[in-house]
Amino acid sequence: MSVSLQTVRDQAWLAFEARGLPTTRDEDWKYTDLSRISALLGEQWWQAAAATEIDAAAFAIPNLDAYHMIFVNGRFDAEASDLPAGITVSSLAGLIQDEPDKTIELMAYHADAALSSGLTAANSALASDGACICIAANTRLDKPLHILHVNDGGTSHLRSSIEVGQHAELEIIEHFAGNHDASGLTNSVTAIRLAAGGRCTHYRLQLEAVKQCHNGRVEVKQSRDSAYVLHAVELGALLSRTDVISKLDEQGASCELNGLFVASNRQHVDHHTRIEHNAPHCVSREHYRSVLDGRAHGVFNGKIIVGKGAVKTDSAQSNANLLLSDKAEIDTKPELEIYNDDVKCAHGVTIGQLDKNQLFYLKSRGISEEEAKQMLTFAFADEILAKMGSQPVRRFIERAAFAKLPIITDLEGMLV
Amino acid sequence: MSDVKTEHKPESFTNREYEAGFITDIETDTLPPGLDEDVIRHISAKKNEPEWLLNWRLEAFRHWQTMTEPHWPNVTYPPIDYQSVSYYSAPKSQADGPKSLDEVDPKLLETYAKLGIPLREQEFLAGVAVDAVFDSVSVATTFKGKLKDAGVIFCPISEAVQEYPELVQQYLGTVVPTGDNFYAALNSAVFTDGSFVYIPKGVRCPMELSTYFRINALNTGQFERTLIIADKGSYVSYLEGCTAPQRDENQLHAAVVELVILDDAQIKYSTVQNWYPGDENGIGGIYNFVTKRADCRGQRARVSWTQVETGSAITWKYPSCVLRGDDSVGEFYSVALTKMHQQADTGTKMIHIGKNTSSTIVSKGISAGFGQQSYRGLVRIAKSAEGARNHTQCDSLLIGDKCGAHTFPYVEVKNPTATMEHEASTSKIGEDQLFYCQSRGISEEDAVNMIVNGFCKDVFNELPMEFAVEANRLMEVSLEGAVG
Repeated sequence: MSVSLQTVRDQAWLAFEARGLPTTRDEDWKYTDLSRISALLGEQWWQAAAATEIDAAAFAIPNLDAYHMIFVNGRFDAEASDLPAGITVSSLAGLIQDEPDKTIELMAYHADAALSSGLTAANSALASDGACICIAANTRLDKPLHILHVNDGGTSHLRSSIEVGQHAELEIIEHFAGNHDASGLTNSVTAIRLAAGGRCTHYRLQLEAVKQCHNGRVEVKQSRDSAYVLHAVELGALLSRTDVISKLDEQGASCELNGLFVASNRQHVDHHTRIEHNAPHCVSREHYRSVLDGRAHGVFNGKIIVGKGAVKTDSAQSNANLLLSDKAEIDTKPELEIYNDDVKCAHGVTIGQLDKNQLFYLKSRGISEEEAKQMLTFAFADEILAKMGSQPVRRFIERAAFAKLPIITDLEGMLV
Repeated sequence: MSDVKTEHKPESFTNREYEAGFITDIETDTLPPGLDEDVIRHISAKKNEPEWLLNWRLEAFRHWQTMTEPHWPNVTYPPIDYQSVSYYSAPKSQADGPKSLDEVDPKLLETYAKLGIPLREQEFLAGVAVDAVFDSVSVATTFKGKLKDAGVIFCPISEAVQEYPELVQQYLGTVVPTGDNFYAALNSAVFTDGSFVYIPKGVRCPMELSTYFRINALNTGQFERTLIIADKGSYVSYLEGCTAPQRDENQLHAAVVELVILDDAQIKYSTVQNWYPGDENGIGGIYNFVTKRADCRGQRARVSWTQVETGSAITWKYPSCVLRGDDSVGEFYSVALTKMHQQADTGTKMIHIGKNTSSTIVSKGISAGFGQQSYRGLVRIAKSAEGARNHTQCDSLLIGDKCGAHTFPYVEVKNPTATMEHEASTSKIGEDQLFYCQSRGISEEDAVNMIVNGFCKDVFNELPMEFAVEANRLMEVSLEGAVG
């Protein structure tokens, strides 16, 4: 390859300088004001944090039997990690040193210019580390791989790549965590490629510390008959924005995106998803829910694009939102762009309070109003978590999510 | 099964010619193309307007010059040269203004007859008062006497400026301000005519009011401005129909419609738009860039927009409801058909401000041939809109594999007591439905018509009787041979 990694980085940096941070005048960022990032972190917000030590064990998911890959403040911690054998797992920093050529392709990607923002370009220019995983054809990893990113404030740029070979199967848990009072930015880009028949289940758990900002991007490219399942959970961070882009490029591919936001206080959570149906006979399902309390602000934008040749597309999207306080706000926009007549597409949005009839029903059975509200709120959110295959992850998230809502007083009683 | 009846191919559908595409050969008094302050002064002087209106126009024009043309809609068209448009065109023989139908140029009456709305017949049969706008100047207003008895004012807006200046001055531009958007500003600067309606307190307008718009002259833009005021406790149903002759150039139509609804009043506004859509190669046709907005200022005010959009090369409009008064109600029912190379980016805005306001949106889009259609809607529930309610349903029907249907619904909710639902679906005509009908001896084309009619029924039911019949016919004619 003729270009060096440095050239790629320089180009990305120029792109970032040219574009800067998106503003609310950009249609895709209408509801999310990133000027808060520079207001919180200063003009040099993009500068990476210094290395410190954090005890990652404090962030473990109870009862989870998995391999672990631990990153502390954007740096791979080999000692704390427990990597699987039989598949290729390396850190981006290691890869840059050992096989620079291989990283060029990965770093050159700052996505479709039209779809990505200055933040993605900054990530390409500055990404210091990340998980690079490659699972060979016809292999199946016996346990999930838990990729934990912990920080104690400050900025980190993470770039991960996951390649799933033909008919290979992989379960990953991408977990962002922190427990500190400082402000910083986690800027993460994860590129996933599924070869024919490959399967990937992806848990993306955002449990950043209260004053952290989070910008995430997941881009998935799918080949024939591959299947991708995402469980995205947004609980932490002051300001968080995630873009999920799924490209169904070949026949028979399928993707399922499940998302849950639980936000309170002054949290701002934004998820933009984009599913591109580029080939015939692909299936997509998308279910997003949010529970917003305090002054929380939720944004959901789900875009489904069905291209000219993508006949027999089957796509469904739903978004339901529950506002628990009169200061909370939700802005949602489920979009369909369809260029072909042989499709089945549906989407739906609901926003509201708890159903009065359901409340009445429970009360008529002798359940107190508080308890009834608690049950219905729990059930509303848990419907998304129930789709998770991994019980330990589900329990972990349930405990973390419902602890945020004062309305839930007896959580343990409800976990069955 | 009869083999003759199933011969329809998609091509025969796209080849369907525009039925209203004739040009009426009458002399017109047209300004040379171009736009500057002199043109505006000229228009204003021609209409013998008071000083305040001229200043209002000039202010709008100066503001317009600072604005840039918006490009966010999901439509594509070559740049418009605003200096090549003529901003005033009045039929010459109308210079003195007709007093009654008998004074109207018989050629004009013939035009309307060709369109299937013979004024006299309508006057007679349907009991509809027609205010026909022919290239920007109202040529005939019927049923004036009967309306006058009820206290209803229904006249061209230019006449209202002369006779009811205080009403016009009080309400003009209060719903759609002059600087609202690019096309509204342009319209404010150059509007030539339109309708003015005032329904006094407690009056139920004794008949349905109707205006017919038609663009006739070459290279003219039509900039009509409609202002309807429903005072406390009144009711009016207003119909508007539009056509334009067949021309190779694209013609611009940038109208503004303002509705003001006070306490307990109701306005029902129905549109059947059949502007020339261009030919099968996408040449010519009307650019229909319209700003329509209703302001429910009073408590328990109601407004309903019903539109059937089958024409125009490009349609770009969002009839909106500002639900300011408590318990006010906004409704939007729309059927839009795009075929050949037509493009439509249409929808509505429901702005909930008052308590217990409710809104309903039913949008049905049918896309065929190379048609591209977008539903773009906004439902905004402000913090003050306690107990607000919205239900949105937008369905698209696709016919053929080269068309597109897109949905961009914006939902912004700031009050937890609000309840809102949105559902949308996109599909093609069900093969099993078609098969079922055909197996019962119904031709493929009739079956498609039946299915499309059923698809649009929710909206057609909202149209006044005469329009419902016309709309049904329009759909049937437009869909001739649309079996893909």
